[in-house]
Amino acid sequence: MKSTALLEAQAVKAYYSTRQGYIKAVDNIDLIIDKGMTLGVAGESGCGKSTLMNTLMMNVKPPLHFLEGTIVLDGKVISKMKISELKNDVWGVRISLVPQSALNALMPTKRIIDFIKDVIRHHTDVSDSEIASRARKRFEELNLPVDSLSMYPHELSGGMKQRAIIAVSTLLNPRLLIVDEPTSALDVSTQKQVLKMLMDLRKTGIIESMIFVTHDIAILRQIADSITIMYAGKIVESGPTEDVLFNPKHPYTLSLTSSVVTPEPEVRERGLASIPGEPPDLLDPPEGCRFYPRCTKSMSICRSVEPPLKSEGAQLVACHIASGDG
Amino acid sequence: MPQLIKDLLRIKKLDASLAIFFGIILTSVFGSMLYATKPLAIVGPAEQPPSVKFPLGTDSWGRDLLALLLAGTKNSLRIGVTAALISLTIGLVIGVTAGFKGGIIDSALMLVTDVVLVLPSILIMMLVAAYLRERNPFYVSLIIGATGWPWVARAIRSQIMSLKSREFMYLSKMAGLKDVRIIVEDLLPNMASYIAMAFVLLMSGAMIAEAGLSMIGLGVTKGVSLGIILYWAQILESVRRGMWWWFGPPGAVLVALAASLLLMSTALDEYFSPRLKGG
Amino acid sequence: MNPFIRFLARRIAFQITTFIIFLLVIFALPRVIPGNPLAVILNRIYQEARATPELVRTVEKMLMKEFGFGKPMHIQFYEFVGRLLKGDLGTSIAFYPRKVADLVIVYLPWSLGLLIPATMVSWIVGNLLGALAAYKRKTTVDNALLPVFLTLSQTPYYWLAMILLYVFAVTFRIFPLGGAYSRLMFPSLTLRFVLDMLRHYVLPFSSIVIAAIGGWAIGMRSMVIYELGADYVSYADSLGLPDSKVLRYVFRNSMLPQVTGLALNLGLMLGGSLITELVFSYPGTGYLIFRALSTLDYPMIQGTFIFLISTLLIANFIVDLIYVYIDPRVRTSYVGE
Repeated sequence: MKSTALLEAQAVKAYYSTRQGYIKAVDNIDLIIDKGMTLGVAGESGCGKSTLMNTLMMNVKPPLHFLEGTIVLDGKVISKMKISELKNDVWGVRISLVPQSALNALMPTKRIIDFIKDVIRHHTDVSDSEIASRARKRFEELNLPVDSLSMYPHELSGGMKQRAIIAVSTLLNPRLLIVDEPTSALDVSTQKQVLKMLMDLRKTGIIESMIFVTHDIAILRQIADSITIMYAGKIVESGPTEDVLFNPKHPYTLSLTSSVVTPEPEVRERGLASIPGEPPDLLDPPEGCRFYPRCTKSMSICRSVEPPLKSEGAQLVACHIASGDG
Repeated sequence: MPQLIKDLLRIKKLDASLAIFFGIILTSVFGSMLYATKPLAIVGPAEQPPSVKFPLGTDSWGRDLLALLLAGTKNSLRIGVTAALISLTIGLVIGVTAGFKGGIIDSALMLVTDVVLVLPSILIMMLVAAYLRERNPFYVSLIIGATGWPWVARAIRSQIMSLKSREFMYLSKMAGLKDVRIIVEDLLPNMASYIAMAFVLLMSGAMIAEAGLSMIGLGVTKGVSLGIILYWAQILESVRRGMWWWFGPPGAVLVALAASLLLMSTALDEYFSPRLKGG
Repeated sequence: MNPFIRFLARRIAFQITTFIIFLLVIFALPRVIPGNPLAVILNRIYQEARATPELVRTVEKMLMKEFGFGKPMHIQFYEFVGRLLKGDLGTSIAFYPRKVADLVIVYLPWSLGLLIPATMVSWIVGNLLGALAAYKRKTTVDNALLPVFLTLSQTPYYWLAMILLYVFAVTFRIFPLGGAYSRLMFPSLTLRFVLDMLRHYVLPFSSIVIAAIGGWAIGMRSMVIYELGADYVSYADSLGLPDSKVLRYVFRNSMLPQVTGLALNLGLMLGGSLITELVFSYPGTGYLIFRALSTLDYPMIQGTFIFLISTLLIANFIVDLIYVYIDPRVRTSYVGE
């Protein structure tokens, strides 16, 4: 494992088993999170990003099955751990996942501080008053009103809930924080608050590395160091943020970035392009490139041979055209 | 539609319950027509246990209990269906109106609904039935139907309210369609599955309610039903005198009918709302 | 105003409204049905009780006075409510000259003694079993329990009572054939009497409990299965909380609708237990009501029903109190009302 890497995933396959067969949601993925990195993961709904996030922390429960691959976190091979070990040593402690739609993720009939006490008490032997002061300190650090701790979740606004749940996820000081679509259900000004909070987490060093999952690629510019684009269960492009956004090599990335309205004139010039067609059925994905049916630039090799992830300039790209094959 | 029926028939629970339920219906309907003995006729010695001649024995008057059971099942089913339809209609009308119109009408209707909901239907039914001298099957169905609708109204109302805010509703309203037409064409088809389940549950409840009323002597004044057989069984102390063939079968049939109906509604519910499947 | 109190005030207002509506109904019923109910009753007393003409005239006078037949409607209602507030539920015809209220006081404790423990036991045990079945869903435990609960929930209370009576009192003479205590005994606080009473108590109690358990179990099972799929469950789990803790969360949240369900089902259970009393010849309010209904003892019908409904509404209110106490969302959400 690379010495700069916090988390390294190799050849990971995680499928959902259904009556009609396996849904190949995470299909042979390699991923590295370096220490101190904020990775943005973008792709449309259903491309497998949430499944990937759960898989990275080995939160894999039926009907999802971890088929192959290795995941190493901080030197430990977590892909071989049992659920009980993961619950004690990994979840919340080394990796925390803030789920999509945090609105209902907090226990509705407990005050926030009481829920926090339950979580921390399970992992450490600390007195209740100590827990309360830790929680208060963390909330203050993150500019959250301290009296929201003694409230019930339904008493908070949507934006407050989202920020509170992010704060709660950091209480055990995990090194890696994964946030799944934290801004999707919020209005623009609340989005700003949440983004600022996440950036503060990085700045103050409370969180070492972060993965930010979204379908809205424009946000990533503000927060991510590098971006990984997923499509139909596969990674199609990844690299430094500026390169992926302004010099995309994969046709899918190109269409994603050009459908965003940004102030930059060079992007706006490319015009709004919406992509016709649908992503492939993950029960029975096509043999070749999965983007082939919707790609405007495809070649004949694209139909039959799956493009491998190759280095092109600053990025890794899985595309025959970009690699100049055929 | 045909595809839906095919899918539904593939569910095991549904098949089993439909088989039991319709099995009983057909047996009672055709059985009461084909079985030679008239239910209320005195045909033999009193209080006989089951034998070849009288498969379910005889009661204290010497009547054939199998004939009584067949006829009684048929009548109980009939009352059950009628009462269920009455409850369903009332519940639908009130629920749809309250959900659709909102505001004062909604609050008023829900107040009425809550009052009827709180007052125990059995007691109300007993009260009304006691004051009626002549009780024919329709009156009995009416009494049962008039007390069983509140939960349906509430459920329909919340469905309507959540459907109201969906897109296709705005489109219809913009097109200037009249309210009634919107209700019938847009809203009801979406609730068809729920209406079916509600009917099944209502019917099950209605049959048990009818039996309960009859048990205390407040059922139909003429004729026989499952509850009435149990009523006779009770006042003639059949239990203490060990005449299991008298009180056993009617109750068992009632349980079979109600349980199969419940199973049916559970199967339908699981099919239409996957979260309950717990997958 | 404290939202807590606002909620309770609203509930009390509702219950009082319901009670008044019920009073109106029960007042109106005997007075609006066609025919002269008075003549019917008197005729029946004359024939069945073979009473002397003087007795019949006394009863007639009493009825005229209490029912006020002949006076205008609103005066009748006024007098009716007036008497009610004084605690006078009228004079029974079938048990003439005893007063309805006195009779109710005698018979009521036996009903409550059956109903209250049976309700609590069936609710608690039913919910526990339902949660168990949900936790072990799709395993043999669940697959075996579910059809049992299903069938039980649809078994009429009274029929189950008959079966139990037949099996345990007639066929295997383990328990007595009915009544609340042996006919030869006199109610007293001796150990002998208490044991005898308990012997008579087992079957009616068990019958109500078994009949009611199925419904609670099925309801709880659905609730728990539903809650197990909730977002807060997977989040708490992903923070490392052990299954036992998460299950406690689920149980707590699933109980809430079950408490509401208790309020809604009280009426049903009341009706069921009354008819069960009938099967076991248990001397509770059921006996009074059925006597009253079959003899058309209007004052008794009126009196017992009023009594039962008030008890029910009070019980509903108590459940409301409990619910507000345990669900924090209700306490705070009424701020905007």
